[in-house]
Amino acid sequence: MRVVRYIGKRMLFIGPQLFGIILVSFFLVKLIPGDPAVMMLGPLATEATLTELRNEMGLNLSLVEQFYIYIKNLVLHGDLGRSWQTTRPVTEDLFLRMPATLELITLGLILGLLIGVPLGVGAAYLKRGILAKFSDYYGLLAGALPDFWLALVLIFFFYTILGWVPPPLGRLDFFTIAPPTVTGALLIDSLLDGNWAALGSAAGHLILPVVTLGLISGGPILKMTQSTMDRMLESDYSRYEEMCGLPKSIIIRHALRNSLPSVVTIVSVLYGFLIGGAVLVEIVFSWGGAGQYAVQGVLNADINPVLGFVFFAAVLSLIIYLIVDLIYFAIDPRVRG
Amino acid sequence: MAENSAAGTILNIEGLNVSYPVYETDPVRALRGIDLKVREGEIIGLVGESGSGKTTLARSIMQLISRPGRVDSGRIEYDGRDLATLGEEELRALRGNDIAMVIPNPRTELNPLVTVGMQIANVARYHLSLPRKEAKKMAMAMLEAVQIPDPTRRFKAYPHELSGGMAQRVVMAIALICSPRFIISDDATSGLDVTVQTQVLELLQDLVQQQGASMLFITRDIGITAHYCHQVAIIYAGEIVELASTQNFFDNPQHPYSVMLLSAFSHNPKLRGLWTKVVDAALEGAAESGCYFAARCVRASDKCRAEHPDMREMTDAHSVRCHHPVER
Ligand SMILES: Nc1ncnc2c1ncn2[C@@H]1O[C@H](COP(=O)(O)OP(=O)(O)OP(=O)(O)O)[C@@H](O)[C@H]1O
Ligand SMILES: [Mg+2]
Repeated sequence: MRVVRYIGKRMLFIGPQLFGIILVSFFLVKLIPGDPAVMMLGPLATEATLTELRNEMGLNLSLVEQFYIYIKNLVLHGDLGRSWQTTRPVTEDLFLRMPATLELITLGLILGLLIGVPLGVGAAYLKRGILAKFSDYYGLLAGALPDFWLALVLIFFFYTILGWVPPPLGRLDFFTIAPPTVTGALLIDSLLDGNWAALGSAAGHLILPVVTLGLISGGPILKMTQSTMDRMLESDYSRYEEMCGLPKSIIIRHALRNSLPSVVTIVSVLYGFLIGGAVLVEIVFSWGGAGQYAVQGVLNADINPVLGFVFFAAVLSLIIYLIVDLIYFAIDPRVRG
Repeated sequence: MAENSAAGTILNIEGLNVSYPVYETDPVRALRGIDLKVREGEIIGLVGESGSGKTTLARSIMQLISRPGRVDSGRIEYDGRDLATLGEEELRALRGNDIAMVIPNPRTELNPLVTVGMQIANVARYHLSLPRKEAKKMAMAMLEAVQIPDPTRRFKAYPHELSGGMAQRVVMAIALICSPRFIISDDATSGLDVTVQTQVLELLQDLVQQQGASMLFITRDIGITAHYCHQVAIIYAGEIVELASTQNFFDNPQHPYSVMLLSAFSHNPKLRGLWTKVVDAALEGAAESGCYFAARCVRASDKCRAEHPDMREMTDAHSVRCHHPVER
């Protein structure tokens, strides 16, 4: 079984990869100016209390020693330190916030796929049609528009003017009781709980941010689908299928299947990027996701959340790439061997 | 063979001119005034060197000329119908069903992600409107008919798992599954080694004749045509220069180019490579007014360089396009 052997090999590398990522990000984050002790105690603190706090936090130790302690805590206790802003362990914070981000970007990318793939296929098939023109402009706009700006425009129209969606303030209405946390994704949790009020409210709050991310990520997905489909429809086997008199629908379906690896690749890249890259959208909608948490950390010299976020994002990216490889295995018999 | 009663002719090409536009220069004229009749049940060999327009002719018949090629003039009639007047759907119903093509590079032209069994079955399924299961049964029978070893296993194989010879048989199965009346084999076995080539060709010939189909058999190897074809057509620079029954042709090849093909092409691959290089140079300088072959011809006279020869019927079932045909 090549798949099993392959996954095994992949697992072996995960440890060193994560170590490398933490190593680099640890020292980079330490370069960010700002003294957490001053931040925590405020401008009126005395030098003595500041020193005491620094010692308590281990800031008096050398960077290498600090790194050693950080890694030791992570490996032995799964401990990523505490955030002084929330005063809670970073792991707990992230387990609370990461699902919010993941729910958002997963749905956003699904929407992006629903927009990008059909448009890309259509544009590749009807080269000179209106659809191809539209796809061109759309790809251009999606690449040029900042996501937060699009978010603000959508809020202006659909909340301020039309009032179709709830205000952009978090994931639920204030008066809605949140379902007990199981996965952290509100849609799933409220379904599991049978809490329809929460389900409706969560869905309502998801609409605009998901549409924002969907419209933006639809651009690159469209471009990738279109260019790959172009190539596949011109390929030897598509022309052969045409020569065999197979219906257009079959030829397109087969070409799409051959294009899937590229589409999967672009989606995985976008996914990895959006874990942190959706932060502006999170901020606009006060989403309280992981990206926002990390940025708060950066701004307030709260290092542990930043490092914790990098660690979580790295693990997620590695998982995503593993899934991508498994999808390749499923699609292409040549890789399966 | 039945003489050219209208009913007996399945394919009739008249004055076909096809060219490929080239940016900012004259277009490449790939086919120039092709006239060709194929009767029912007849296998006709089309021989010419690389670049002579063989594939272009095959694709013209399928109405699928590669971009940016276009038909400048002429007509192709299949079974009494002018193919140019048919719509996309009518053509689709013909391709793979009435007119089928056996392709030269099956391993790049088969879909890499679909099992070969399903690729065969798909053709039957859509042309014969069969349910999936029936189509698969038929594909299985076809795999047996093309004598693939271990057909049950091969049915589920992907193209990259097949040898060249097996892939060629799969392509034959795809071409033959709907019992087409006209088959085009474009250089179908050139990639195979000689023993496999012979097996595959013999099988193809058998199956074609069993089904009573006609075939346009395209090859660069003139020797092959002697065994498998009723008629031989020699194509040079997009023009048919000699057309004869196989018997007549090999008894008395009349065009200097045919003689050259016979002496050089048959068994020496080195010479073959050499010729191919020469032809490009010759084509470049080919005067539009004279005989296209004049620059390479040992018999060329001033007349050849000045005046384009017409096709002349020398004896029954033997025509040649030459001012100075070779006598016996
Ligand atoms: N898609 C295309 N675009 C431009 N020119 C083309 C195209 N296809 C063929 N040609 C030109 O048309 C001429 C005939 O090509 P064709 O492929 O029909 O030759 P062929 O006899 O099949 O050669 P071979 O034996 O190498 O397959 C050549 O000069 C070739 O360069
Ligand atoms: Mg060819």
